[in-house]
Amino acid sequence: MVKLEDVLDSSMLKKPTGDQPEALERSDSNYHPLHTFTLGKDLQYKQQFADIYFLRLTKIKPSVEEIASAEWEGTVIGGETAKKVERVLDVRQGELCWVAGTVYVDMPLKPNILEDVSKDRWISAPSTVQQYFSGDGRDAVMLEDDSGRIRLVGDVLKSHILVTGCIIAVMGTENINGEFDVIDVQIADLAPQPGRWELSIKPSQNDTTKKTPKPKDEDVEMSGSPSPSQGKKIAFVSGLEFSGTDTSYALDLNLLLEFLLGDVLDPSAQSELSHISRLIIAGNSIASEAKEHQLAEDQPGEKKSHKKYGYDSSSYNPLPSQLFDKFLAELLPSMPVTLLPGAHDPANASYPQQPIHPAMFPKSRAYAALPGAAEPGWLDTVTNPWEGEVEGWKMLGTGGQNLDDMCKYVPDNDRLGLMEAMCRWRCSAPTAPDTLWAYPFQNDEPFVMKECPHLYFVGCQPEFGTRVIQGPDGQMVRLIAVPSFAATREVVLVDTETLDISRVKIAT
Amino acid sequence: MDKYKTFLADNVITEDKVITFRLLARSLGVHVNTAKQMLYDFHKSQNDRRPGAIHATYLVYGSKEGVSHSSYGTDGDIKMASSPPDVDFVSDSAPSFSLALIPEERLKDELAQYNEVVSIHVYSIEPGPMKDMALLLDAVEEVFKIDEEEDFKKPNVVVNPQLRRRERTHPAIKSASATTSKPVKQEVKPAFAAASLKAKEAPKSAEPAAPVAKASAAPTTKKAVPALKRGGSSNSGIMQAFSKAATKVKKEASANNSRAATPSGDDSSMHPLSDDGEDDDVPQPKPLETAGGRKSKKEREDELRRMMEEDDDEEEDQKEKSPTPEEEPIEEPTAPEPQKEEPSEVVTTSANGRRRGKRRIMRKKQIMDEQGYLVTIQEPGWESFSEDEAPPAVKPKISAAPAAPAAKGKKAAPKGQGNIMSFFSKK
Repeated sequence: MVKLEDVLDSSMLKKPTGDQPEALERSDSNYHPLHTFTLGKDLQYKQQFADIYFLRLTKIKPSVEEIASAEWEGTVIGGETAKKVERVLDVRQGELCWVAGTVYVDMPLKPNILEDVSKDRWISAPSTVQQYFSGDGRDAVMLEDDSGRIRLVGDVLKSHILVTGCIIAVMGTENINGEFDVIDVQIADLAPQPGRWELSIKPSQNDTTKKTPKPKDEDVEMSGSPSPSQGKKIAFVSGLEFSGTDTSYALDLNLLLEFLLGDVLDPSAQSELSHISRLIIAGNSIASEAKEHQLAEDQPGEKKSHKKYGYDSSSYNPLPSQLFDKFLAELLPSMPVTLLPGAHDPANASYPQQPIHPAMFPKSRAYAALPGAAEPGWLDTVTNPWEGEVEGWKMLGTGGQNLDDMCKYVPDNDRLGLMEAMCRWRCSAPTAPDTLWAYPFQNDEPFVMKECPHLYFVGCQPEFGTRVIQGPDGQMVRLIAVPSFAATREVVLVDTETLDISRVKIAT
Repeated sequence: MDKYKTFLADNVITEDKVITFRLLARSLGVHVNTAKQMLYDFHKSQNDRRPGAIHATYLVYGSKEGVSHSSYGTDGDIKMASSPPDVDFVSDSAPSFSLALIPEERLKDELAQYNEVVSIHVYSIEPGPMKDMALLLDAVEEVFKIDEEEDFKKPNVVVNPQLRRRERTHPAIKSASATTSKPVKQEVKPAFAAASLKAKEAPKSAEPAAPVAKASAAPTTKKAVPALKRGGSSNSGIMQAFSKAATKVKKEASANNSRAATPSGDDSSMHPLSDDGEDDDVPQPKPLETAGGRKSKKEREDELRRMMEEDDDEEEDQKEKSPTPEEEPIEEPTAPEPQKEEPSEVVTTSANGRRRGKRRIMRKKQIMDEQGYLVTIQEPGWESFSEDEAPPAVKPKISAAPAAPAAKGKKAAPKGQGNIMSFFSKK
């Protein structure tokens, strides 16, 4: 309970004093992006997708088998000892054994390439199905590797989240129907976690240590000030959805801008806001086209008749990206920004999405890095998923498509649980390339988490959520489901020392 | 000191405008915190005199009760109820703060919902209670507009000492601070004017040239400190280019003189530049910024041209030449918007049966940029002419132009834009 009288002595509710308030300095941002998901320029799209599965299996299988053999070695059930079987095809009926492989979930509602081909549907439109899970028992879970595939049955499966593409080990026997009756399931669990400040050099508190070899010398500058990293924060936001037609939250966006700039509030709160050292935008900065069209409601079909070469102002509305550009241009002088593309953003549709080209932002592109520059740009347009080290913490983040797609596989909407599962499977996009569009990788499968991040964020989620999960070797991962700003008006702040979360809800 | 009172009285009471603290701060050039106090003071003094005279909207930042814990998903879940980790559905609690705009009449009730108020101040004042908060957007827009025009004196509350911007040509200017940039700016203007003068192959009088130079210099001077650096550098890039390519330009221009000038005058009378429908309010990039892009476009055009047969070379040349001056400004009009309104011809003397004056032409110019690439750009320029009354160059051209353009030109005209693609669609 706060009474009106209590707040009236606020310093801002006074006559202007006339003295010039001192300028606040924004905390520096220690930032080291990685280019794990950057695709080369000379890409081929001819190859098949099987390599992704093969690479993923070869990368994760050893760790799964290690855990499985530790768990199941010498297990005796009904007088029979569980044996390890190398390939799915080697499973013999009636023998107790365990085997590792890739999960494939067959669901009648899932888009099926074979069906498309047989029905002569060659134009692949994005799937509009909201949920693949049907719950009527027609969904089948299978385990496969390069040798073959076996159907998994058993009640124990129900207590595990399983989606296509995750790597698991199962123990059980093949029953008379040729199905594998699962007794227990093991997964790889969290990958080894690097220490903090593995990639970037920790800004030294007392300037005695050697100068940083990095190109940016701001650490050195900052080392003199009393406690540079104390209370530093990183802001996460997603789903800004700048729209050319829907202005219902334009004011909220402006308040967000004023909040991040530190224009609002009183001097003490402003000094707190000045510790927000970076903004990470996790996808969907621009409203979806469907939404735009739905709201625009202009003569449908009429304009479609003539096709114009190049820029067609009747079919393209530049306003959303202009508004977003304006937002960035206003914010950037005060704060560096990392921009991940999302499902609606002007980037490629398939995972990993490549950075939004700075040419989209005529006003703010001056802050972007020059092509080929070693130093990350002040406005850093990055891939989705994206990996990097911010303030020494290894971060992994996505624009949300990976999680949204996984949610279609499971009956409930436990998004944090799915995020945890992704970390424990060591795969940030298991459903790619099955239901999540992805580039057909040949030589590397970047979605495998070779290292466990300290912070894993997923953008454009319907609701805020956060949790800390722990691994067997003392790994700690902070999971954040970053809510869509357009839906919740929320911005998430992460403390860079403790990884504690706070959030700010904007209401008008 | 009381300047703000007159400002607020003028705007809020007389003009019924909504004034936010940011707009006040920008308009008067004061710190935002001072502006908040000014709004409060004005609101108080007005309402002391006459209660309800003006209305205030407050911004309250603090924590509300009952938002400490957020549960995830539904609690009464049927399927997973048997599974042990029921806690999985609950997200960790995270302190939540609320940043809310509250009109003054609701302030008391709203405050009662807060556990703690970190900060409160007047966000805006307006003549009366707002039916729709969206009215604030007008003020927001105005702030954006001011920032765009003169953000070099923008009083940012939180400054970032690490700010890095990309500089195109002169890394040395990077270190130039707000104080040093002013002289730079002043230097730039005459220099640029001189450059455009030079490009104009000695115009008859400098007087009409001045607005052009001013207009082209305008975007650079308007920009902020950082923007100015860029503007300055791009300017010097142009100058540098001129110094290298000046002679070439002259030669080329004079060679193209009759051919380039006449069609452009002709075309602009048929469908003026501003009518091409494409140059809406999209902020147009500066010419040098995207020089690379244009170059490749140019190359493509050239390739296309080469692909075509040699026989009706002359006609094709004509056809292509005339669309290009129109097509190019869509991509990158070097000239800022206001210049569009200027007449395409300025006749200074019309005595003796001869007209003298200047007309606007698009001139192609090939320059070497700082990285050694050849860049071709289209630049609007003024070309002086002296000819008989009733511009003879125009009419003979129409008749002289062979039959082919008559049909094709007509086709292109309604579209408002001659495009190389229209040549293909014809076939």
